[in-house]
Amino acid sequence: MSLSGELLPAGLLVILPAACLLDRYLPRACLAFIAFALLMALAWWRLGAPWLALAEAVLGALLTGMALFHGLGSLGSRSRLPSRDHETRPRHQAIARWLAALAWLALAAGAIWGLLGAGELSVPSEVMRRPLLIAGLAIMVMGLWAFAHHHHLLRRLLAFNVLGSGVFLLLIGLAGQLVEVQGLILVGLVVALVGSVLGAVLLRRLHALDGRVTLDGGAGDDR
Amino acid sequence: MSAPPEASLPLEAAVLWLALLAPPLLGLVAWRFPPRRMLLVLLAGASLPLATLWLLHRVASGGLLEGTWSPGGLVLHWRLDGLAGLLLLLTQLLLLASAAHAVGHRRATALDERAFAGFWPLLGGLATALGLIWVAADLLTLYAALELMGLTAVGMMLLPGTGDALVAGMRYLLYALVGSLAWLLGVALLLGATGRLDLAGLEATTEPGAVTGIAMALLAAGLLLKAAIFPLHGWLVPVHASAFTPVSALHGALVVKASFFILIQLWQRLVPEAVAAAWLLGGLGTLAILWGGLQAWRASELKQVVAWSTVGQLGYLMLAFPLLAGTSAAVATLAWQATWLQLAGHALAKAAMFMAAGNLVLSVGQSRLADLAGTSRQLPLSLMTFGLASVTLMGLPPSAGFTAKWLLLQAAILAGQWPWVIVLVAGTLLTAAYVFRVFRCAFVEDAPRHDFRPLPAGMDLIALLLALASLALGLGAEWPLALLREGGLP
Repeated sequence: MSLSGELLPAGLLVILPAACLLDRYLPRACLAFIAFALLMALAWWRLGAPWLALAEAVLGALLTGMALFHGLGSLGSRSRLPSRDHETRPRHQAIARWLAALAWLALAAGAIWGLLGAGELSVPSEVMRRPLLIAGLAIMVMGLWAFAHHHHLLRRLLAFNVLGSGVFLLLIGLAGQLVEVQGLILVGLVVALVGSVLGAVLLRRLHALDGRVTLDGGAGDDR
Repeated sequence: MSAPPEASLPLEAAVLWLALLAPPLLGLVAWRFPPRRMLLVLLAGASLPLATLWLLHRVASGGLLEGTWSPGGLVLHWRLDGLAGLLLLLTQLLLLASAAHAVGHRRATALDERAFAGFWPLLGGLATALGLIWVAADLLTLYAALELMGLTAVGMMLLPGTGDALVAGMRYLLYALVGSLAWLLGVALLLGATGRLDLAGLEATTEPGAVTGIAMALLAAGLLLKAAIFPLHGWLVPVHASAFTPVSALHGALVVKASFFILIQLWQRLVPEAVAAAWLLGGLGTLAILWGGLQAWRASELKQVVAWSTVGQLGYLMLAFPLLAGTSAAVATLAWQATWLQLAGHALAKAAMFMAAGNLVLSVGQSRLADLAGTSRQLPLSLMTFGLASVTLMGLPPSAGFTAKWLLLQAAILAGQWPWVIVLVAGTLLTAAYVFRVFRCAFVEDAPRHDFRPLPAGMDLIALLLALASLALGLGAEWPLALLREGGLP
């Protein structure tokens, strides 16, 4: 694998989630997420995990995509969500979330730095480890930012999914293609799918009940 | 920790897996044919605790049972020691009790049978998830079980379908999902550093250092969020207040404690000597005890009182960390026994308390404390159950809560860790304050109300039995403690 052959997918891997998380027009954001999931599937394929690629394509791209669009109400329904997110989060709520997100990031970056620097990784580097770790960290940063910042529930679901993909990339970057890694990612994919489906169904029902698309975070809302 | 590879192991493994996997099947049957009688549910599930008792007997005579299974090239580990067996037994008894209570609850609230049927497969899934957590001995199984538990719990929370329940469930879902990603990142770091996932292997190969510390911090953050330990408890109270009674009973009794169980297992194996971090966790527990007690005292609705009391009582479990880290063997043994006794006693008492509170609310038709006026005459049994359950929560003799807090007190004094003594006393006083506040409201006599809804007798009976069990556990603590001693410290 040449460096240039890796740079383009790695670059896209970072640009697509950014597009997904920054877009206030929700159907486009969901499409960007599906494209991102397909790219992740391609990444698993390139990393020599064809089964994981298949699972990512089916669970991550197809089914999660369907769940997200179901949440939007685009698949033939009457109670559609507004397709643009107009919510802004009140400033005073954000501090604890930001602290938590920053602590998370500092811990993750510190540990990865420590592992790479001390050469403590148990699995020898048989893959291009650095691009994976950099892409994983970047995606995780975006996911954390979006999860802490966004108010709209669908966008928080998107943020959670992106965050999960970032963690998966870090996992394979740190531990290589062990069968344990594939098992963990597979469980993670299933969990993310079920979580997305539940979240989307809930969002639809909340919207149908009283037209809300956010949690209306109260005082106890501390992350 | 001796593990004799016995010839009869396959039989025990088969019984264990049958006991773990039967509940979802029973749940599916109950989903198709919703049960209408409590006795039927109890009879259908009674074989599970019997199987576990037999397994416990085997563990007591032959020591630890363990094994592996390998789906698709993976090697997954399980182990059943005295502690795991006792927790499995406790889980099955509480699940049975809440299943029976759920039948009565559906009948009393006249909920649509089909609308409530979703409860059963979710309950089965929760049973398997909890059982797997007690016996799992590798991080992959734990991850899968933790997620299964979280998702089934969210599903059960959503059953009422009201706006409150949906919002609380959505918040719980988001927190649980993010918590599991923090956990997964911690697992990734450990796997990267050691290349293993089995607990025994991790214990042998991890070296104390920055990376292990950070991995443990991430794992702990995810688990503390799921266990609703003090600063991360925000999601718990709305969830408990809006869910069906048997669901909040199970959730407060078992689900939050499963995360604690995983945390202490990992902590003891990976960073047993991290004294400062252990004191930090103890400090969080202290804040939980004080804040939870204070909020329970200030809450205006009965179910909120019970939910805030869960936040406070979980704090006592966190005191185990400083008492186990770097202390003498005698202190550690006392703290270890106290922790599990507190967990079991609180599980029984909290389930009883939730059921009693749910029965009161259902009978009165109102959820505010002020509306309990007059219940002392009309609903003495529910109120007595509430009181018996509070005996354990307050830590009065003779109850599991008393024995547990007594052991904790001894451990704290022996170790010279005086702050925890003050915390224990303050926690007891706060608990007494909010319990007596409930009773003060219930004993108001000048309320001319006569429209109490009659409930199936079984609902009160089950709650009463659980409350009595929490007292009996205090009197007969010798048997479980002896089993714990067999296993010893991890």
